Amino acid sequence: MTEKLEACETQPVVRKKTPLQGLSDTVYGIFENKRVRFSFIVLILVLTLLLPQMSSRYTQEVLTNAWFYIVVCLGLNIIVGFAGLLSLGYAAFFAVGAYTTGILSSHYGINFWATLPFSALAAIIAGIVIGGPTLRLRSDYLAIVTLGFGEITRLVVRNLRITGGASGLIGIERPVLFGVTLYQIQHFYYMFFVLAVLAIFVSYRLYDSRLGRAWQYIREDEDAAEAMGINVVSVRLYAFIIGSVFAAIAGSVMAAKMTAISPETFAFMQSIMILLAVVLGGMGKIPGVILGALVMVLFPELSREIGPYRMLIFGVLLLFLMIYRPQGLWPDHRT
Amino acid sequence: MIKKSWVLVIVILLLSVALVACGSKPPATQPPVTPAPGTEGPAFDGELLIGIMVPTTGSEATYGKDMENAINLAVEEINAKGGLLGKKVVTTTGDDGCDPQMASAAASKLVSSDVVAVVGGYCSGATLPTLKIYADAKIPMVVPAANSTKIAEENQGWAFQVNSPGYHQAEKATQWFATLGHTKVALVHQGDGFSEDLANLTKANWEDKGNQVVAYEVVNKGEQDYSALVTKIKSSGAEVVYWTAYHADGALLIMQLRQGGYTGDIVVGDGSSSDQLLEIAGQAGEGVYCTSPPIVDFLPAASSFIQNYTAKWKQSPGPYSGLSYDSANLLFSAIEKANSVDGDAIRAILVDTKDFPTLSGNITFTPELTLVNSNFIMLKGENGKWVLAE
Amino acid sequence: MSFQEIFLQQLFNGLLLGSFYGLVALGYSMVYGIIKLLNFAHADIYMVGGFISLAILKFFGGTFLGNAWLGIVTAMILTMIIVGLLGVAIQRVAYRPMFNAPRLSILITALGVSMILYNAVMVITGGEYRAYKTGLGYGGFNMGSVYVTHTQAILIVASMALMLVLHLFITRTMYGKAMRGIALDHDTCRLMGINVNKIIALTFFTGSALAAAAGMMAGVYYGSLHFFMGFVIGIKAFTAAVIGGIGIIPGAMLGGILLGLLESFGTQIPFIGSQWKDVFSFSILILILIFKPTGLLGKKESERM
Repeated sequence: MTEKLEACETQPVVRKKTPLQGLSDTVYGIFENKRVRFSFIVLILVLTLLLPQMSSRYTQEVLTNAWFYIVVCLGLNIIVGFAGLLSLGYAAFFAVGAYTTGILSSHYGINFWATLPFSALAAIIAGIVIGGPTLRLRSDYLAIVTLGFGEITRLVVRNLRITGGASGLIGIERPVLFGVTLYQIQHFYYMFFVLAVLAIFVSYRLYDSRLGRAWQYIREDEDAAEAMGINVVSVRLYAFIIGSVFAAIAGSVMAAKMTAISPETFAFMQSIMILLAVVLGGMGKIPGVILGALVMVLFPELSREIGPYRMLIFGVLLLFLMIYRPQGLWPDHRT
Repeated sequence: MIKKSWVLVIVILLLSVALVACGSKPPATQPPVTPAPGTEGPAFDGELLIGIMVPTTGSEATYGKDMENAINLAVEEINAKGGLLGKKVVTTTGDDGCDPQMASAAASKLVSSDVVAVVGGYCSGATLPTLKIYADAKIPMVVPAANSTKIAEENQGWAFQVNSPGYHQAEKATQWFATLGHTKVALVHQGDGFSEDLANLTKANWEDKGNQVVAYEVVNKGEQDYSALVTKIKSSGAEVVYWTAYHADGALLIMQLRQGGYTGDIVVGDGSSSDQLLEIAGQAGEGVYCTSPPIVDFLPAASSFIQNYTAKWKQSPGPYSGLSYDSANLLFSAIEKANSVDGDAIRAILVDTKDFPTLSGNITFTPELTLVNSNFIMLKGENGKWVLAE
Repeated sequence: MSFQEIFLQQLFNGLLLGSFYGLVALGYSMVYGIIKLLNFAHADIYMVGGFISLAILKFFGGTFLGNAWLGIVTAMILTMIIVGLLGVAIQRVAYRPMFNAPRLSILITALGVSMILYNAVMVITGGEYRAYKTGLGYGGFNMGSVYVTHTQAILIVASMALMLVLHLFITRTMYGKAMRGIALDHDTCRLMGINVNKIIALTFFTGSALAAAAGMMAGVYYGSLHFFMGFVIGIKAFTAAVIGGIGIIPGAMLGGILLGLLESFGTQIPFIGSQWKDVFSFSILILILIFKPTGLLGKKESERM
């Protein structure tokens, strides 16, 4: 009996300090210094702003994609990381934005900038429709409901005539800013960069807000939060709505960049990859999520050479990362 | 534990910096194809870079490889004849993965590498967003396979489609339904742009001729069970079923139609013109018709191409190999005539292409830059092989 | 075809499809019931099962002791054992180190396993479809107005038999009792002297073996295999497990059959038809969950993330 008991006990993980960890301690120590951290961020900002002037079109294309995924990952992070709701159909919100802009622009010739409020509005409605009746569900059931809604959205845009059917929409108008038509990759590079910075800013504000703390409270202990007078369903609904607006705006700009969108872009795999980036980076931690998004975009591009093996290797890496760092690359301390 | 994350963070940052550094240099994808030492022919005055954009990973990779091989064969032949404008032709491949976002990245990569022109485009959906990228960079593009009508609509004047457009195929199909003496057709597509386009064109064409489409159905990609659909088709009284999507799921549908007791005719579209369809379908594939692009096996002019291709790549050409070879040769002749690597000059020559002889017939472009003459042929499955039905 | 004929034929189609869904759903449900993990890799186990059975069949030349049916049965048993062990290995390598990790992290691990499995098969098969030839033909018999091929009949019988065996195993044996116990409370089971890790491994073995059987049956019935074949059925089986009440064994079977029927009748509905079929079934799923949040056979329980 004692033998079995012993085997059953969960043993605390004790790790020895490796030279590698010593190094990371030093690096971490350096970054603890506020001034160092500030100048580091400024350096990165300046570099990213100057980059298009000195890099190839391809680099810009890849980085534009990275900025885009930072925005959607931060959006999903609000739902999954902040509010602790598992969503498997996030691509649906991103589709809502892209198609709103697409339809208004290609069928009705409405100016791109004027479509953005509609796109946000559509996302809010979608968030309420999906979230309203389902947010009371247990998290795994919520996951399957969001999966169901994600698939429904994709199939509906595939089947309807107004969304261009399976071929999707073409001829989405390019945005005009200060009299300049934005069509070059450089333009979209800056546009998505601004969007990403905006998303980071909003995320930080939310994280420190009353709402942010309410989310954390619910995530940690739903019953206690409710007892303290937090309206669980409405606070969760806010997370759903804000998260979907992030995705919708990113989707709108994406539609303008691609000028053509089709339902396959919004398939289940897209939702899964975004979720993967969020969890891999570290749920709830904003720099972690950014890191996760970067890894997800850059890894396949960096490993183009190895062709068909790259996703296999990505899977193996993912497995090891998760086993050795189950909280993600850069976890949140607040949990 | 937490601090360890910084190591990872730094590694990732270094990796991204490495990417940026690589990106600012000329192409890092695949090394340009150079002839083996010893086969060095005439002396060249520099190199002329041609881009290839095909899917080399993902579900359509097989077709992409067939196309890439055929284009590189054409390149080898032109270099043996002294190259173009005295320069040696080299190629670089961008993998579009049959995905719009990947295709944009691939096209950008080719543009960044300063290619003179591009041959490529297999999946219509992936080709669409690249049209603008090439047009902005004034790079002419010859498209061997992608033939959705949306490409013609969105064309910025720089893409030349060497595969017959969808309405040629729809016309071929409906003519054949009429030849077989049918009036009730069931159309089945797979919910992607390409197969939906063909199904819609066929529907419009068939109804214009005063006939009936009794069922217009969709299967979802990746589904295996079509039994409910088979029952529905049978109950609709269809005399012929036209499958407009790809070969693997086509084989499943054919087998389940026969298993479910459907006895009418079955026709499949060009996405299914693969030997694998007959291999998987087995007995059920006998007597199935196929509206096919000009496959080299059935072109008398292509016998030496087949020989050379098989000798070089140790495999037989795929369904789009012939058209890819033709596309490359069309482009080479245009560059030669333009006597320049300037995009505008090459484009001007391509626009005026008249009766350019190729393996699959003579090429003349319409104002929309698609083929004037249909080059579709009708095949029939017999003893596990495709044979000409006409 | 008369209305009645169509109805009966679609009923039969739905049952057949539903028994596939049910078999795969069982694996999702068992694993979820015992360690609360949505095992994304389960669909790929189904796919791997198909390929391994094909390899075994080819190895034996398609027959065993000169008999095609015996060959198939032998291959199925071998496949179930091999893939069951694969499931146990995956559990040991990927999931066991993570039992104390955040639940979403295990989910992502499962995703990683899924990526590894399907990309490995993709690389091995070159991403191409493989024909699955068994020489069973289309022979069959009429049941009322419905024509049933021998293969179809055997498939339905086999999947029902597998489900029944599983049900007996779980309700009548000590191991089954231990599984049910662990689903309720790990720690108490430990204190009662149950080797929890062993039972979890057993659960993975059983679930994976059933999925492998389904994968092989799909190969035999549909006649081709592809590395992506698990994807759609995975989503559907997962849905089926949730409809029935995830973690509940009879629920998975019920959910599978129900989803199969919804799809086959959904295809036949006039003016809606095949393109709206999945919208139809997912909408029903959502409606069921809104009105009965724990699935059809689920019981109420509170949870903490």
